[in-house]
Amino acid sequence: MAELKDLVRQWLESGRVDLFLGYKEVAGHPLPYAFSRDNLEEVAELMVSPARYSLEKLAANILKARPGLRIGLLARDCTRRAVNVLTIYNQVEPGQVELLDLSCCPSRPQVSCSALTPPEVGEVKRALGLDNRLTPEQFEAIPAPERLGRWLYEFQKCLKCYGCRDICPVCFCRECSLEHGELVEPRDLPPEVPMFHWVRAVHMAGRCIDCGLCEEACPVDIPLRLLYRLTNRIVRELFGYDTGLTLTRPPFSVLGVGPAEPREAAGGKGR
Amino acid sequence: MYKLVPSICSYCGTGCGVLFEVLDHRILGTLPLKTHPVNEGRLCLKGWSLHEYVESDMRLTGPYLRINGRLHQVTWERAIGFAARRLTEIVDRYGPDSVGVLASAKISNEENYLLQKFARAVVGTNNVDHCARL
Amino acid sequence: MTNSIAEIEDSACIFVIGSNTTACHPLVARRIFRAKEKGAALLVADPRRIQLSLFAHVAVQQRVGSDVALLNGLMHLILKNGWEDREYIAERTEGFEEVEELLADYPPDRVAAITGVAPQDLARMAELYATRKPAAILYTMGITQHTTGVDNVKAICNLAMLTGNVGFASAGVNPLRGQNNVQGACDMGGLPNVFPGYQAVNVPENNAKFSQAWGRPLSDKPGLTIMEMVKAMEEGRLKALYVVGENPKLSDPDMNHLRHAMKNLELLIVQDLFLSETAQGADVVFAAASTAEKEGTVTNTERRCLRFYQAIEPLGDCLPDWEIICRLATAMGYPMHYTGPEEIFREITRLTPSYAGMSYERLGLTGLQWPCPTPEHPGTPFLHRDRFTRGRGKFHPVSYLDPAELPDEEYPYFLTTGRMFAHYHTGTMTRVSPHLDREQPTGYVEIHPDDAARLGIAEGETVAVASPRGRLEAPARICRTVRPGNLFLPIHFGENPTNVLTSAEALDPLAKIPEFKVSKARLEKVQPS
Repeated sequence: MAELKDLVRQWLESGRVDLFLGYKEVAGHPLPYAFSRDNLEEVAELMVSPARYSLEKLAANILKARPGLRIGLLARDCTRRAVNVLTIYNQVEPGQVELLDLSCCPSRPQVSCSALTPPEVGEVKRALGLDNRLTPEQFEAIPAPERLGRWLYEFQKCLKCYGCRDICPVCFCRECSLEHGELVEPRDLPPEVPMFHWVRAVHMAGRCIDCGLCEEACPVDIPLRLLYRLTNRIVRELFGYDTGLTLTRPPFSVLGVGPAEPREAAGGKGR
Repeated sequence: MYKLVPSICSYCGTGCGVLFEVLDHRILGTLPLKTHPVNEGRLCLKGWSLHEYVESDMRLTGPYLRINGRLHQVTWERAIGFAARRLTEIVDRYGPDSVGVLASAKISNEENYLLQKFARAVVGTNNVDHCARL
Repeated sequence: MTNSIAEIEDSACIFVIGSNTTACHPLVARRIFRAKEKGAALLVADPRRIQLSLFAHVAVQQRVGSDVALLNGLMHLILKNGWEDREYIAERTEGFEEVEELLADYPPDRVAAITGVAPQDLARMAELYATRKPAAILYTMGITQHTTGVDNVKAICNLAMLTGNVGFASAGVNPLRGQNNVQGACDMGGLPNVFPGYQAVNVPENNAKFSQAWGRPLSDKPGLTIMEMVKAMEEGRLKALYVVGENPKLSDPDMNHLRHAMKNLELLIVQDLFLSETAQGADVVFAAASTAEKEGTVTNTERRCLRFYQAIEPLGDCLPDWEIICRLATAMGYPMHYTGPEEIFREITRLTPSYAGMSYERLGLTGLQWPCPTPEHPGTPFLHRDRFTRGRGKFHPVSYLDPAELPDEEYPYFLTTGRMFAHYHTGTMTRVSPHLDREQPTGYVEIHPDDAARLGIAEGETVAVASPRGRLEAPARICRTVRPGNLFLPIHFGENPTNVLTSAEALDPLAKIPEFKVSKARLEKVQPS
């Protein structure tokens, strides 16, 4: 940790970054915190939080208003994947964001991560709905005719908070398909079952970086991570595409004519 | 320049913990406080949209006074002065129980405390209630 | 709430009555779902078929305003089957015999006739509630906004005590507060009969304590409730009204009546974030800062006092409410000067025993649940442990009474009102919020398909709803959420204000709460002009 703090201090002092987003404890709660040259002494309080916030999304929001800034991030592996996707979609420019790695998952848990300690799942949920700890392979062990009913049980709980979208580090569309009346009929609760969740799942193909923040934000414990893992697997199996591991454009997001080239090679300006 | 400020959702009575994303003195968004005992990092649609009413164009930006039948924006001195003078006149003429005060389920404890103190100690009436019944 | 929100997860039975929890208290609904998924029984009684009904072991749609009959019917069956907790009743309560006698009059067939709830559903509910402990009851305005609101609450308390469900974790009687600081407004003495901490104004030692603390002799005569203030305005006795952060023109039970009464005021002062319907008629409007622009505390429905922090400077020339009140008091010759909310909070803790152990530092980001009488006290997650605050828990015999209005030939429908998920109260905050407005930009009236078919009403068609008080028009939403013969109107939409229809006369005699949940009404097609 001391090494980490020294690095952050160096980055800020040398001007390598203008802001560094990490965590600091406030009244016993770890909160995301912006360190800068103006509060260098506070870097001593930098901490790694077991509660995960999407620091990369906070950074992308800041950069929308202040594109000239350079922001450093305390980065888990999921942060790195998210930043790759944000770069592919021109939400951050290469160089705007610098990552300070904390290699955490999946096999090297040096840092505790809420996604590594799956929640308790009640027996009724396991019987009627879906256990949030299921892997795609375990899900496929459920007899096929049972599967839809289990998803419907989960979707009927939906409170339409849009938390899955709002917390998502790689959700940034100005016009959201979930708010498109012809795709998802606007109405009272629950939102149109199953369309609301199918529409989002389709949208996550080649986009989801499997951080699990959506599921942590879901008030009713819908196994969203499993849903998007299943969708993303299609992309992997059909196109050999691993979302977030490289800067290669995903197969479903190639717009117009031309090869799906890595972001650097394309060199285009953001929108 | 940039900070996350803890707050409590101002809609229903659940009391969910939120964080406002503040950049250059403006609120960019609302996040759930992940370690809050009530909501544990979750919010409803209203909570996620909490910042939107704060900077709404419909917000009042200063006090108003009715002059010749229409509301005009005035200084605080004038608005407070007018209200204080008229309240004092009414109390002097009709007694303190001719005044009613409606406290609010949307302002803080400190403010509700001061408001009932105002009714009881300054005006001199127990005519203070709030709209929870409605 | 007697208990805490998080405790709900560990209840063995949850009985939700008169609360559309997923729409109105979504983060409480989370705990209900989690409890159910751990194996709790979920019972739902609501005149509308709500989202929670889909997940209930038993969901019933009692006729609006029939809650006492339903609750007494449940207790009748509990006694008949010997499921009551005799030991608890004997040790911790009083007045049971009287209630026991009264409950004999509520056999299932009579209850079914009043409520429309089938005897077998009633029996299943009674069994699940009585035999699975701890059992929690959750309710909101569906219980209280009735002429029998207090009776409804008493019947709920009877049910909880009968089965020994008060004074334990994950049990209790749990009203869910509708606004973020209703609890705090009451705790702080925003009531006509009590000082902060529910210390009655007419008890001499309380009066002396506050008179001394505030340096003025104080009135020991309980004041007027909001409904009584309206009447006093009408009769010309109330001359000035100072309204803070509320929009009674839209929330009062009878808009036309209130508008008329307000004309008699010599002075209307309104303090708000927006130029609400009420502020538009004011003589002076004080522009207040929002929660994000100031610091302070609020107290949530589980009695948890929580701090919020200032995020940005007040908008334009707005001032925090506390500062406006200080300036007004000072201008009226009572100097009120505080360095900030923390100093005010310290004064509160000195005068309010249930808050005495709290400080800004202790509250931090987690808050503390009252009673918290000393600086070492950890706060109180649930009330009435070991004994009731008043000593013994009192059973109150309550008999079923009809609502003030029942449908008749001219007004053949039951009209009920409430909230929908995307909006809040009179809509002043939510309708200016783009993401909320998008979900539901207009008002609507829910109509059962059978009723719609009979009148030839199509989805989305503008229809008129009329009551003896007034008439409004709104688009039809045809759905099976309501029972045939019932209409539902959301309360958030000023352009079709439900309070032109509801009655200011139909009040609970004790709580003076208006019967928003039951009016008689007529439904009409609007002829194209």
